[in-house]
Amino acid sequence: MNNNKSLFVIALILLGLLALSASAFVVKETEKAVLVRFGEVVRTDYEPGLYFKIPLVHELRKFDARIQTVDSQPVRMLNSENKFMMVDSYAKFRIVDVGRFYVATRGDERNAVRLLAEQINNLLRNQFGVRDLHEVVSGQRDELMAEITENLNKTAQTDLGVEIVDVRVKRIDLPPEVSESVFQRMRAGRELEARDHRAKGQEASERIRANADRQKVVIESEAYRKAEELRGDGDAEAAKIYAQAFSKDPEFYRFSRSLTAYKESFKSKSDMLLVDPDSDFFRYLKDSQGK
Amino acid sequence: MAWNEPGGNNKDPWGGGNRNNDGPPDLDELLRKMQQKLNGLFGGKPSDAGDGRPGGGSFPWSLVMIVLAVVYGLWGFYQVDANESAVVLRLGKYHNTVNSGLHWNPPLIDHVTKVNMTEVRTERTTGQMLTEDASIVDVVLQVQWHIDNAESFVLRVRDPLKSLQEATDSALRHIVGSQTLNGVISQNRTQVAADTQVRLQEYLDLYQTGIRVDVVNLTDAKAPREVQDAFDDVVRAREDEVRLQNEAQAYANQVIPVARGQAQRMIEEAEAYKSRVVESARGEAARFTALLAEFQQAPEVTRERMYLDAMQEVMSNTSKVMVDVEGGNNMMYLPLDKLTGGASGGASQRTQVTPQVVDEISQRVMNQIRTEVNNARRSREVR
Repeated sequence: MNNNKSLFVIALILLGLLALSASAFVVKETEKAVLVRFGEVVRTDYEPGLYFKIPLVHELRKFDARIQTVDSQPVRMLNSENKFMMVDSYAKFRIVDVGRFYVATRGDERNAVRLLAEQINNLLRNQFGVRDLHEVVSGQRDELMAEITENLNKTAQTDLGVEIVDVRVKRIDLPPEVSESVFQRMRAGRELEARDHRAKGQEASERIRANADRQKVVIESEAYRKAEELRGDGDAEAAKIYAQAFSKDPEFYRFSRSLTAYKESFKSKSDMLLVDPDSDFFRYLKDSQGK
Repeated sequence: MAWNEPGGNNKDPWGGGNRNNDGPPDLDELLRKMQQKLNGLFGGKPSDAGDGRPGGGSFPWSLVMIVLAVVYGLWGFYQVDANESAVVLRLGKYHNTVNSGLHWNPPLIDHVTKVNMTEVRTERTTGQMLTEDASIVDVVLQVQWHIDNAESFVLRVRDPLKSLQEATDSALRHIVGSQTLNGVISQNRTQVAADTQVRLQEYLDLYQTGIRVDVVNLTDAKAPREVQDAFDDVVRAREDEVRLQNEAQAYANQVIPVARGQAQRMIEEAEAYKSRVVESARGEAARFTALLAEFQQAPEVTRERMYLDAMQEVMSNTSKVMVDVEGGNNMMYLPLDKLTGGASGGASQRTQVTPQVVDEISQRVMNQIRTEVNNARRSREVR
């Protein structure tokens, strides 16, 4: 009896376990669940917790309740200047209506991501098409993103049951051929700058040198003027002194000065003097009486 | 043996047993019941054992239950380090976040995720990006971050690290896109980092990543490799500019003092000239005045004396040729070219003409003249 009872208990427990494992499920904080009965959505409003379903009748589908990412591949886009650029974007979304999400994507998250990526690319293309490079790179980036997020939210929520948290352009790159011309422009700009610096250097150099040269000339000519003035002063004073002294007896001055001049003029042995013996100097040469 | 494997690994036996007895599932009640049942097992152990043993051959269920309960109980202990927080989910629902210490949560019912809250981690992004002036710049950026909100980090976003990477990329490019190339490279580097940090934090909060950005460093911002040489040349040009100025300044620093010195020399020389001229004038004047005074005492004699003195000096210092040209009919040959040539002749010979040579020539000439003069005189006397 005892044996039978315990066997019965074991069987009961095993049966219970089986039923339980097939019917109990936990919805985690990070999940959203859809209960489907023969393809028809029965319940979607699961808070996190432990729930039960009828095995074989109900099918449970779980989706990620957290914020997820649509990371699209870089896409080539034309801007308003008809230039191509490579745009890499991502979007953050969260499932808000899991029933709609399940229906719209037939339970495959990848479908949703693909659909969103297509829409984002489409919206980006539209936005980029009416803006030039400068506007998308700097000026209107935030507005652009906000507009796309808003546009996307209108349809995404009703069509896919997701809320778009944010759409961002990660990178905007120029295609290689455009990059090359940008590099050339940058190089040209730098060359301009370098030349400007060198020219400015030469300008400053010339200015400093010329200024120095001018100062040199000014200094020297001023000195020359002063020197000449001094010499003139000296000459004038000397002349005055001479005049004062010599005017006392001009005739005697002429005489004594002439004598000095003779002495100075004929002081070398190589000077030659042709002398008339009848000159006054030789008066006594022939005759002691000087007659 | 087979039955206790699923039983040991699964929480369901307890819950299931209760549910069958008590009807609709209620989590708290379930737990309470479970607790009661456990207590019952503990308390009822002796009597159960007593009942079981006499039965003979019956399996010791209670013992198994006790062992299982002990294992389950020990299994539920876990430790949270000082730098960690643990997020506890109870049956999938967020229960609480616990800090450091030893904790116990029922295994299989609670799910514990530990995260390191204090470790500062680094995220790096690098690449070429466009600036406001449509130039391209190479940027390396480092973000240091830590987990600020464990609950958000674990529960709110699917891949927080990837979100961080994406947000960093986007924020950085946004900020660089609103700066000029020169701004990013030099003037506004700190500004770029600061703006990026603000924007990045904004994104991270929006995505509920629970990440807090500590520091954003613009590790490197430079012109792309393709144009680096042109940028280097600008740096060189800047140095050239300074060098040229310095060289010119050095020139000026040398030229002007030299000119000043030379100017001073000119002035000094002029002063010297002036002094010399004036002083010699004074001297000569004084000499003349003194001489004049003597001359006025005895004009005739003094005049004669001075004349003779001067003549003597002149005559004694020069070569003399005395010519009596009265007898104009006599031809007289004077080799003046030789005489003067010897004295002041060609520049080529001057170095060889020593005073001795001149003397000798003069002597010879004088002799010849003398003989000529004597001859003439004799012929006159003869007549």
